[in-house]
Amino acid sequence: MLLDRVINFFTSLRLTVACLALGLVLVFVGTLAQVDLGLYKAQNEFFRSFFIYWSPKGASWRLPVFPGGYLVGTVLLVNLLAAHVRRFTLTRKKIGIWMVHVGVMLMLLGQLLTDMVSHESALHLREGEAKNYSETEREAELAVIDATDADTDKVVAIPQGALMHHEEIRHPEMPFTVRVKHFFVNSAANDRAPDAAEPPAATQGIGARATVKELPRVTDMETRDVPSAVVEILTSQGSLGTWLVSEFIDKAQSFTWNNRTWQLAMRPRRHYKPFTIQLLQFQHDIYAGTDIPKNFASRVLLLRPNTGEKREVDIYMNNPLRYAGETYYQASFDRDDHGSVLQVVHNPSWLTPYFSCLLVGAGLIVQFLTHLIPFIRKRVSA
Amino acid sequence: MAALAGCGRDDIQVYRVAKETPSAEPQAPVAAHGQDQEQATLPRVQFKLPSGWQEVVPPGPMRAASFSIGGKDGQTAAVGIIPLPGVTGRDLDFVNLWRKQLQLPPATEAEMSKQSEDVTIGADQGKLFDMVSEKPIESKTPTRITIAMLTKDGTSWFFKMTGDHSLVREQKPAFVQLLKSIVFQPAAEPIQFTKAPRALSTNAKQAPRGESSEKPIWIVPTGWQEVPGGQMLVAKFLITGDNGAKAELNVSAAGGGLLANVNRWRGQLGLAPLQETELQTQVQPLEVAGGKAMLVDMAGTDAKTGQKARLLGAIVPQGAQTWFYKLMGNEQVVEREKEAFTRFVQTIKYSNAP
Repeated sequence: MLLDRVINFFTSLRLTVACLALGLVLVFVGTLAQVDLGLYKAQNEFFRSFFIYWSPKGASWRLPVFPGGYLVGTVLLVNLLAAHVRRFTLTRKKIGIWMVHVGVMLMLLGQLLTDMVSHESALHLREGEAKNYSETEREAELAVIDATDADTDKVVAIPQGALMHHEEIRHPEMPFTVRVKHFFVNSAANDRAPDAAEPPAATQGIGARATVKELPRVTDMETRDVPSAVVEILTSQGSLGTWLVSEFIDKAQSFTWNNRTWQLAMRPRRHYKPFTIQLLQFQHDIYAGTDIPKNFASRVLLLRPNTGEKREVDIYMNNPLRYAGETYYQASFDRDDHGSVLQVVHNPSWLTPYFSCLLVGAGLIVQFLTHLIPFIRKRVSA
Repeated sequence: MAALAGCGRDDIQVYRVAKETPSAEPQAPVAAHGQDQEQATLPRVQFKLPSGWQEVVPPGPMRAASFSIGGKDGQTAAVGIIPLPGVTGRDLDFVNLWRKQLQLPPATEAEMSKQSEDVTIGADQGKLFDMVSEKPIESKTPTRITIAMLTKDGTSWFFKMTGDHSLVREQKPAFVQLLKSIVFQPAAEPIQFTKAPRALSTNAKQAPRGESSEKPIWIVPTGWQEVPGGQMLVAKFLITGDNGAKAELNVSAAGGGLLANVNRWRGQLGLAPLQETELQTQVQPLEVAGGKAMLVDMAGTDAKTGQKARLLGAIVPQGAQTWFYKLMGNEQVVEREKEAFTRFVQTIKYSNAP
């Protein structure tokens, strides 16, 4: 019977061993691949994927050549579950093994969940500076800002993914269409000499006096891609022209449409929060007579206007601030020691690894004791 | 799960936030110089180039555009479009200024309005004046100036064609066509490219320390060309002026005292070394981002080329290290670049601050 064969396959211990072996190979190869691809690309290609693909140079097609992290993890999870349902019965004798298995499954599920829903961003503050948003450094957004009101800005934030995959972007809050003419994941933008042969990047704003070119993506940990795009604003009455938007351009570029002032800015993707964090002081201690760091600490002021919360917090290694579902770790600092970078991690399943480890540990102890106690009883009675 | 992964990542978000106040750390201003700075803030025009005219790029100081026209027998004419923001109601002064150039007596208000004719400039109406010198001034033939004027949005616009009498008269229809094709544009915003976007946050354990001789973050003024500097230099820029005149800017981070380095520079200019006590009189203080620096200005003869040269040096102590910026070369080029150089040095950032 086919069903029996399928059940046999998914409940077999061989499959468990095969999955674990494939996982080992995957970790080894994926780690080596970071040399060429960089951490983030290697993670995406080897671990956050169902298959690892190969394609010859210049070809547009690709072949799956090895199972990716998601596939190995999913099969292992199904294998564990299936084996559990088929083989194990909940008896007092086996309760320990049962706990261990649930713990391992929980760990696998938790990791998958972490991978899919957790989110990391960075909060870079100079001493005295306050911000109510963190930024994803490796992902950009095009902020289309209605800056007409005196006190507030209405922001339509178009993430990099949308810019890469859509030619025309419409949104009920934008009275025009944003047409993405070019998008460069990594780029260089420069002043254009008036007599340069190269045409200007755009017709309006800074792009009319600048050039832009695509660069290969960077892979090392210390640098990052700097995206740029050329976008055209299309209204019901025609095109308003094209603009160069780039993370190289500090200032938002303005234009007027229907008596409202709009701004365009390409920037690292922002995540606003209902509270403000101000860096009061950054401290960087080193061991006397050396350059070896001893301690990094940021004293921040947490301000939440709607609840009146106001408190000072010290963030240092192994002492992050956990607040509003996010964890703020001390991650880096400015070279002049007057600025600090906090890593902001939003991970709703951060407790699952702790819980699953406890469960596995407790399961092992229980299983050990369920054998030890009868054994000792036997010895005593004998 | 897959749906969960995709959810939200590419979604457009809409939110309302308080307007941003400028950050505590001021952005480094753009170190543009002289003409380029003006060019960036001058109102601009679009036009249709008449046939036979050459656009002069860059247009020159104070000009939104410039053209040159060549005629028979080596005759020439030049056309300049000159916006003067904030200058209005002084038409007579300007007319008389040009009359003076042609060695003509000043005109009165009544004479001026009698001599003017209406002309279309873009979508507006302006005045056109035609004047010719009684005798040759710079060339073999008398000089003629045809000039159109218009006041628009608080800016006085002058469209001036100067040159050999007959060529200017011959080119007047083309000049009038140019005026018709004009489209006024507001002043361009100064370009604010950051030289490099902020470095990534790195693990604190690996954050570099004491490696300050790697390149700081700076904004290179227009016209400066970065060239390979060799082992001892952090960076080198080449700046060229008219007729092949040039100057070089060397950036180095070195040890050694102030006196030793200033005297090394003096040696390059064929000047006698200074004593410690004399040094203070030669050095001016200079405020730079994140501290104080010293500026020296010396002139002498370049020991290598044997030509007259000027040297502007900035010495910027930064932590344990001292940065040296030496602009040396042709006197005119150094004078022209002085402001850009000072601003360049003042706005350099030595940390990985944004």
